[in-house]
Amino acid sequence: MISAQSLTKRFGSLTAVDAVSFEVGTGGVLGFIGPNGAGKTTTMRMLTGFLPASGGKAVVAGHDVFDEPMQVRRKVGYLPETPPLYRELSIGDYLRFVAEIRGIAARDRARRVGEVMEQVGLSGWERRIVGSLSKGYRQRVGLAQAIMHDPPVLILDEPTSGLDPAQVAGMRDFVRELANDRTVILSTHILSEVELLCPRVVMIAGGKKVADGTLDEVRHRATGGVRYRVELKGEPPDAIAPAVGALPQVDQVKPVPRPPGDGPHDPWDQGFRVLDVRAADDPRTAIARLATEQGWTLRGMERRVPGLEEAFLAIIGAEQ
Amino acid sequence: MSVAWAIFKKELRIYFVSPLAYVFLGVFLLLSGLFFYLGITMTGEASLRVMLGNLSIAFLFLLPLLTMRHFAEERRSGTLELMMTAPVPLWALLFGKWAATLALCLALLLGTLLFPGILLYYGDPDMGVVLTSYLGLLLVCGAFVSAGMFSSSLTDEPVAAGLLGVIILLPFWVAGSAADMVSADWLRRALRHLSFLTHIEPFSKGVVDTGALAWFALFTFGFLFLTWRSVESRRWR
Repeated sequence: MISAQSLTKRFGSLTAVDAVSFEVGTGGVLGFIGPNGAGKTTTMRMLTGFLPASGGKAVVAGHDVFDEPMQVRRKVGYLPETPPLYRELSIGDYLRFVAEIRGIAARDRARRVGEVMEQVGLSGWERRIVGSLSKGYRQRVGLAQAIMHDPPVLILDEPTSGLDPAQVAGMRDFVRELANDRTVILSTHILSEVELLCPRVVMIAGGKKVADGTLDEVRHRATGGVRYRVELKGEPPDAIAPAVGALPQVDQVKPVPRPPGDGPHDPWDQGFRVLDVRAADDPRTAIARLATEQGWTLRGMERRVPGLEEAFLAIIGAEQ
Repeated sequence: MSVAWAIFKKELRIYFVSPLAYVFLGVFLLLSGLFFYLGITMTGEASLRVMLGNLSIAFLFLLPLLTMRHFAEERRSGTLELMMTAPVPLWALLFGKWAATLALCLALLLGTLLFPGILLYYGDPDMGVVLTSYLGLLLVCGAFVSAGMFSSSLTDEPVAAGLLGVIILLPFWVAGSAADMVSADWLRRALRHLSFLTHIEPFSKGVVDTGALAWFALFTFGFLFLTWRSVESRRWR
């Protein structure tokens, strides 16, 4: 549905987006993530045709963005980071205007505007002036604008920024529902958002693509998958880590050093060694058995699935 | 075409839901009344010559206030992004905006019809001249709106766009006065030709001059073309 091939955007000597390529099939939500200033907005603007690319090409819904801009515009719904609203108009007037420029026939316009307003939860708000709306409601009007022509491709730039938690949850449900029968690209720097919504992510940093895949793949590649944190005490202390490392189930063991500073640091102060264990198969039974055999004290074992947050920091860190 | 119509209606609606159009109408009628009064008392003629001549100069300073928001504000508020990602051809956007402001000018001019009415009641004005004078003024409006739109396309700051609009238009007014001060014949003729006052002169005498029509058409389309280029090129930066 969407194909970006070496998309590049230069502003003078600054390369904002550097040869970014990715493909998105029909349906589902693609999470477009990266730190602020990574080039997310610029990439999205190139996909909508608002910004011409300096290099590479983009094909959206079967049309080249540069060669057939009008066809692409008809098939894409776009919500920029700040909703593009006319403050002076009422919600109804604004949406009727959007319907009109989106080419919805005069006889269908009122019906369609009503449908869309109901969909985004604006029923009964028709006469409210856009300029007087709160951020959450502006975002709804912006979203209504983007889905007016029922586009097969939706591009949403930080749709949840500035919303309160209840509104964020509402927006998430709504996007999930929209994605049932269309392709949605959503950019954000709030990672918990992506974890709940996007099976697939493309991560960019410094204008370059640094990761692309399912959420699990990206997470796994960045952090090496599932880890276990183990707290053990025994004699001699230095033999503990190698013994755990020697277990067949364990891939790698790293002792976690005591954090610096004077404050109380519980397991270390109690004489425990803290190990960071990486293993493909769950090694906890084997570690427990080993502890019993050796007469060590086992205080805790915790399975830790790395969050996207960690993956993100690991990848961004590796880039720099 | 229907898209241009949509833009036209939207722009007019924005004028009339904000106080701008009404303040403008008030100021404009006040000025017209003043010019009308001065014209009658100074010349003793039952004509609108003074009023209409002065109004064209008032337009030079006031019209950029009506056009300053066209692109500056749309860019600032992000709505230009909506226009450029919806299936709106650029010409429709330009034409819709231009026509909307011109329609507002027409409304302003209709408001001043009070004054020829007064003339008709008390005297015997030449209505043909009144008609061509209004036509001339409308041509001036079309030209100034187009130049104002160009200035608005150059910056993101509406107020700066307004001032810039006046600055762009000023030479087309002062060129006429400057012409009287230069001695070189060719330069004098060139400067005179540059001034819009030279070109509305025939209209205020009841003559529809094709040369003048061509001048206004060239001015209007010239600045619309520049606006088109300017909006288009700013996407690349």
